[in-house]
Amino acid sequence: MLLRFAWRNLWRNGRRTAITLGTVALATAVLIVAGALMRGMMVGALANATNLGVGEVQAHGAGYLVDRSFYTTVRAPEAALAAAGALGAGAAPRSYGFGLVAHEARSAGALFWGVDPARERTAFDLARHVWHGTFLGDEPAGGVVLGKKLAHTLGVEVGSELVVVVQAADGSLGNELFTVTGVLEAVGETNDRSAAIVHRDDFEALFVSGGRVHEIAVNGRGRVPLDVLEARIAAAVPDADVRTWRELLPVLADMLALFDAAMWIFSGIFMVAAGLGVMNTMLMATFERIRELGVQKALGATPLRVAGDVAAESVLLAVVGSVVGTAVGVALSVWLGRHGIDTSRLGGDLSFGGVAFDPVWRAVLVPRELVGPIVGMWVASVAAALYPAALVARLDPVRAMQHV
Amino acid sequence: MSARPGRAPSGATVVLALLGCLGAPAGAAAARSARDILDHVDDLFRGRSSHGRAAMTVTTAHWTRTLALEFWTEGKEKSLIRILAPQKEKDTATLKVGNDLWNFLPKVKRTIKLPSSMLSASWMGSHFTNDDLVKDSRMAEDYDFEITFEGERDGRGVIEVTCHPKPEAAVEWGKVVVLVRAADLLPLAVTYHDEDMRLARTMTYADVRRLGGRDLPTVMTVVPADAPAESTRVVWEAIEFDLALAGDTFSLRALER
Repeated sequence: MLLRFAWRNLWRNGRRTAITLGTVALATAVLIVAGALMRGMMVGALANATNLGVGEVQAHGAGYLVDRSFYTTVRAPEAALAAAGALGAGAAPRSYGFGLVAHEARSAGALFWGVDPARERTAFDLARHVWHGTFLGDEPAGGVVLGKKLAHTLGVEVGSELVVVVQAADGSLGNELFTVTGVLEAVGETNDRSAAIVHRDDFEALFVSGGRVHEIAVNGRGRVPLDVLEARIAAAVPDADVRTWRELLPVLADMLALFDAAMWIFSGIFMVAAGLGVMNTMLMATFERIRELGVQKALGATPLRVAGDVAAESVLLAVVGSVVGTAVGVALSVWLGRHGIDTSRLGGDLSFGGVAFDPVWRAVLVPRELVGPIVGMWVASVAAALYPAALVARLDPVRAMQHV
Repeated sequence: MSARPGRAPSGATVVLALLGCLGAPAGAAAARSARDILDHVDDLFRGRSSHGRAAMTVTTAHWTRTLALEFWTEGKEKSLIRILAPQKEKDTATLKVGNDLWNFLPKVKRTIKLPSSMLSASWMGSHFTNDDLVKDSRMAEDYDFEITFEGERDGRGVIEVTCHPKPEAAVEWGKVVVLVRAADLLPLAVTYHDEDMRLARTMTYADVRRLGGRDLPTVMTVVPADAPAESTRVVWEAIEFDLALAGDTFSLRALER
């Protein structure tokens, strides 16, 4: 009954209602989209770092991360790979070795990665970040994929021949010719400067590595809770050193924590700004009706009745406005999540703390983060309407009617 | 060619011992000033030119290998080392001209010039670095020195000379101690300390025999202080001094021969 009157009342002044409704809807939509974009930047930075090659969890032989000794290995790599597979997470075994690469008169030191190309392709995105040429094929073919700066130092391009010299695991001198099949995009300073990625079988022949695996990188792409992933991998390779991306990428972890705090502060400021906008509109709309409310009082409406009417109207406005705003905000966020905003025209390669940011900025909508904007708008709307209504309710009808 | 940090040398002794260099032939060394002792050690393997064979045995925690080497030197600027055995490395060669190093890799038939970033990396898996091959200097010029011991030690008459780098000298050691036999000034041991005065490596000399018309310690062993179970041992099998070498001995073409 009350709501029906309220609804009818609202459309007595369609323009005013439309403006108020629009303000609430716009504020709600802006809050939702801004939140989704900020969340998207964080998720994107993390996903870039982990999906690229680091993964969410890594296993190494105990002490490997300290001295990177060729002889410190993961003893049961197959067990770790199987444990990751059982959880539906991707995983890739890697071997690392230092060596010298040369092309014509130029030469440089490089860190060789012996990889399983098929696993790298499914578990990680590195294979998709090839700037020129292609990533390694599934069969060993003497190909090498180089970091961008390393390729530049050597003056090589796709198809160039590379002379490789390494000290093999048995102390002998390993040397082979490789063909550059691809050059990576900028993927972080260290890899840009040093990465020389080869098929694990080619690595084996070059380093006489005896099947040594130095790292198992596991990537669930956010589908498996991090603690579960860590626990299962640790159980599969009990003598290995198992770490999560938080420990492997401490700079990123710190940055994301800082970013999270900043996001709450910004959200709060946005909320206050949007709330004030809605309050202003509501106040104006209610003050405009002071004479009308005075007439109601003169006709015998109790103060409670007057305040109740106003409250009901503002609740209706807030609900309808926020529903419309949520619909628009969610739709826009989903669209931005799919298509993103291309920031590449604003600047070059964006990287921070060794983490490359995707130039396409995508929104990520987390359902529970919709609660804040919606509830915030309701509170702001109703509070803004109740204050003038309460004033009017106590007003002398004659003075209210004379109010200009 | 794994990096072996902390072993970058200025090690005149290493270079000269391995390669030989220009200098006066070893004199009778009657006078026993510290300078005479250092010069004698520096000049031991030097000649206008030299040619010889050596066996280098490298022992690490994970493997032991012996390489048969043939070497040629001319002056202090030029040297060529060729691996004769084992089969996997046969004909692999290192050419040094001035401060540049090239490696010839017969398996892929390519020659590569070593980048300066690889100077501190191990040479052929040994406890010598590429820098050991490139750097050449005289201890008496780069160091301030004094005789710190003269007398009997372990039943032998020895003289110990302690060297500290001159402030302007571009050497990486904080201290070098040279121990020689008092009788003929032949080296017994040279110890290298880093800038923090921690022992970095010890080189010992043994088995004096007559080679190339000189009495020389024919076995040299280097032991890194951070891995005392590891070592690189060089045994000189033959050496001749002051021979005439073909003009293109130290060319890239000869390297690939």
